[in-house]
Amino acid sequence: MSDIPWEQVDAVIARWAPRGRAGLLPCLEEVQSITGWLSPEVSRRIAEGLKVPLADVFGVITFYGLLYDRPVGRFVVRVCDDVSCFINGSREIVDACRSYLGVEPGETTPDGLFTLETHPCLGRCERAPFMMVNELEFGPITPQDVPRILEEVRKSGAGQEEEGV
Amino acid sequence: MNTSVLLQRVGQVDPTRLEDYVAHGGFDALRRALLRRPEKVVEEVKASGLVGRGGAAFPTGVKWEAVARESRTPKYVVCNADESEPGTFKDRVLMEGDPFAVLEGMAIAAYATGASEGYIYVRGEYARAYTLLRSAVDQATQAGFLGDAILGSDFSFHVHIYRGAGAYVCGEETALFESIEGKRGQPRQKPPFPTTHGLFGQPTVINNVETLANVPPLILNGAEWFRSLGPEEAPGPKLFSVSGAVNKPGVYEATMDVTLRELIEEYAGGVRDGGKVQAVLVGGAAGTFVGPKDLDVPMSFSGLRRVGASPGSGAVMVVDERVNMWDVLLRIARFFAHESCGKCYPCRLGTQRQLEIVTRMASGALRYKDFLRLQDLHATMRDASLCGLGQTAGNAIISGLKVMGMGMSDD
Amino acid sequence: MHVIIDGQRVPVSPEMTILEAAEQVGIHIPRLCVHESLTPQALCRLCVVEWEGARTLVPACVARVQDRAVIHTQSERVRRARRTILELLASTVDLSEAPELLAYAEEVGADLERFSDGERLTFPVYDDNPFYVRDYNKCVLCGRCVQACGDDMQFTYALTISGRGFHSRVDTFYHLPMPQTTCVFCGNCVAVCPTGALKAKEELLLEEGLSPEAIWQRKREEKRAWYKER
Repeated sequence: MSDIPWEQVDAVIARWAPRGRAGLLPCLEEVQSITGWLSPEVSRRIAEGLKVPLADVFGVITFYGLLYDRPVGRFVVRVCDDVSCFINGSREIVDACRSYLGVEPGETTPDGLFTLETHPCLGRCERAPFMMVNELEFGPITPQDVPRILEEVRKSGAGQEEEGV
Repeated sequence: MNTSVLLQRVGQVDPTRLEDYVAHGGFDALRRALLRRPEKVVEEVKASGLVGRGGAAFPTGVKWEAVARESRTPKYVVCNADESEPGTFKDRVLMEGDPFAVLEGMAIAAYATGASEGYIYVRGEYARAYTLLRSAVDQATQAGFLGDAILGSDFSFHVHIYRGAGAYVCGEETALFESIEGKRGQPRQKPPFPTTHGLFGQPTVINNVETLANVPPLILNGAEWFRSLGPEEAPGPKLFSVSGAVNKPGVYEATMDVTLRELIEEYAGGVRDGGKVQAVLVGGAAGTFVGPKDLDVPMSFSGLRRVGASPGSGAVMVVDERVNMWDVLLRIARFFAHESCGKCYPCRLGTQRQLEIVTRMASGALRYKDFLRLQDLHATMRDASLCGLGQTAGNAIISGLKVMGMGMSDD
Repeated sequence: MHVIIDGQRVPVSPEMTILEAAEQVGIHIPRLCVHESLTPQALCRLCVVEWEGARTLVPACVARVQDRAVIHTQSERVRRARRTILELLASTVDLSEAPELLAYAEEVGADLERFSDGERLTFPVYDDNPFYVRDYNKCVLCGRCVQACGDDMQFTYALTISGRGFHSRVDTFYHLPMPQTTCVFCGNCVAVCPTGALKAKEELLLEEGLSPEAIWQRKREEKRAWYKER
C-alpha cells in the first residue's frame, strides 16, 4: 500500500506511544485524518506502536461513529436529521443531498469524493436545519443552498478550513 | 427569573484571547480560592446547593467532598464536554464563547479535591470548541493559571484534551472513562462510583461543562448569593437550549423557576408562524414529552415532576401542530437504536425492537399488541438496563404516545 | 448482619453478593453471563432483583449485600424484566442448545415468539480451523469467550466485540479467520460458552452422526495439513 504516507502516520504513533492504550483514541483520530480511513495495515501499525491487542483496536474502531474501518469519501457530508432539524426541514436537505450527489445515506459517490450520512443530533439546533462537510458548518440552510455548498466544496478540493454559511 | 451569569462573557469577549478573559474578571475566582484552604472551597460549593447540570442533578459539593476525602493519588478532574443529548447545545455555546471559564472551574475543582490532572472530553463533532479549548489550555498554562505551581502556589494541575469519536453513550461518565482509557465506550456497572474508582481506577471528579462554569461566579460571589438565585430546591443560574418550532431558537439563561411557557413565548419568541404547541420534549431524547396544557409548570425538579418530566440537560424542543408526531417519535427511536452501546441485553435488543415497532406505527399500522410490547420494552429497559441510556430509552416514546392521546393506563 | 430475601432472613457477610446470599438459602436466581472463573460483567441482566428503595432493579451477580436490605427475586417487576429479556433474546438467537435459558423462559411465562417479527441477525457458521467451529447464530453476546481469551484466562486477545448496539458481535481483527489471528486454540472460549455457539469439532461431528473412528481419521488429516501449512 504505497499511497499511505507512513512517515506521517508513524510520527503520530510515536507521539502517542508513551501513553499506551490511553493514547489509542486520539491516535486513531489523528491517523484517520491523514489516511481517510483505518485500513487493516494502518490499524496493525497503531496496535503495534501503542502495544494494544489487534482485536481490541478493531473493537474500538467499530464502536465509534466517526472512525471508519472502510474507505469513505474525501468529504463526509453529515446532515443532521434529528428532532429539531427535522422540525425545520432536514428531510428536504437530505433529499437535496441525495439528488445532487446521486447516492443514498451511507453511500459514497463513485469518484470517491463524497460520502453522505444522516447524523444524530449535531448539537447546532439553533441553526437547524444544519449540516457539516468534514468540519465545515452550514446552517440554517435551505434545500436550494445544498448544490452551491457541495459544488464549492468540490472545487475547493482539499477541503481546507473555510467559513460556513 | 432572567440572569446573566453564565453567559455574561459569551459574545462579549474574544474566546481566543486569555487577556480578554482576564480583563473581564477571569481567574479572579481561582486567585480567591487559592487563598483559602481546599476544604473551605468544598464547603462553599456544598453550601451553594449547586447540582450537576448534565442531567443527573447530583449535588456538586457532595461529589467534590467524596473525592477530597480519598487518600489515593493521583486524583483526576474530568470535564464532561461530550454534549450529545439531542436538542442540547448549551455546553457548546459556553465552550465556544467562554472557554477559559471552563478551565477556571476545573482548576478550582482540582484545588478543592487535591487532583493533579485534568481531562476535557469534547464531543467529536465540536471541532471549534475543541480548537478553542486547546488554545485556551496552552495560553492558560503559559500564563501560570494551569500547570506547575499555579499563581506561585504549591498547587499544580495539568489539563489534557480528548476528542470523542461519535458515540452518545460516552456522555455517560463511566463510558467516558473507558473511552479515554482507549477502550470501547461502554458503561461500567456502578458502584463503584467515580469518586472512588473513576478514570484509570482513581478517585475522580467528573462534572459537566455548565456545572464547572458555575464554579467561578459561585466562588467570587459566595454561596449565599448563589442560593438567592431561583428556587430553594435548585438554586443558581441554568442554561436552557430551546429549539424546534420557535422563532428564536437559542441558549437562554434563567433560574429554574422559569416556566416552559416563558421559555417558549418570551425567551424564544413564541411558536413559528403564530402556530400552536403540539408537544414539548423536555430534557432531550432521554427526556419526556409535555403536552400543551402543561406549559405553565416551572422548570424545577418538583415542578416538572408534576407532569412526569425532569429538567435533564435543560433541552426544550418544541413541536408545533404542523409536524407529524410519528416522524418525531421515529427519530427518537432511531436515535436510541443507533446509540445503544450493545453491552446489556435490555437496551441492545430493546432499542432495536422499539425502533421496529415505532416504524410500523409511524407507517399507520396501529395494533394493540404493539402498544403492549412497547410498554414491556419501556419497563424492562427502565428497570433492568445497565446505564442511563437504556433506562431512559423508552421515556419519550411512551410520553409522546400519551400526549397524542394514545397512553396506556399502566405506564 | 442479615438481609431479607423473599421474606427469608439470611445471615450474610459484608463482601457477599446478593446472588451468593440467595444461594445460601437455596434460592436460585436466573443468570447467564456470570461465570465462576471470569470477572462479572453484569450485562445479561437476567439476575436483576428488586431491592426495596432502589430506583431500578439491581444485578444480583455484582450487587453487594447491605445490612437489613429487603430483596425480592420474584416480584412482578422482576419477572416482567426477566420475561421480556428472554423474549428479546429468543427473537434473534437460536436458544436450542441453551436448556437453562429455555427453563427460565418457561418459569416466567415468556412467549419466545413474541418479538419474532423483528430483524434477526444471521451469520455463516465459521469452520476455519481443525479445533472448533463458531456459530454466532447461537451467540447471546455474554462476552465470556472474549474474557477467557483476554485478561481473565489466556492473555491471547484474539477476540473482541465489534460494532455497536444491536449489530454488535464477537469478532476478530477485521473479521480475520481464526488461524490468522493470535488464537492459540487453547479451547478456553469453547469451555465457557453457555449456548453452544462455540463447539469443539469432535462434538459437532458426533452430532452430525459421524462415527468416532471417522472423526478421529478426519481430525488427524486436518491437523496434519494444518501443521504442515504452519
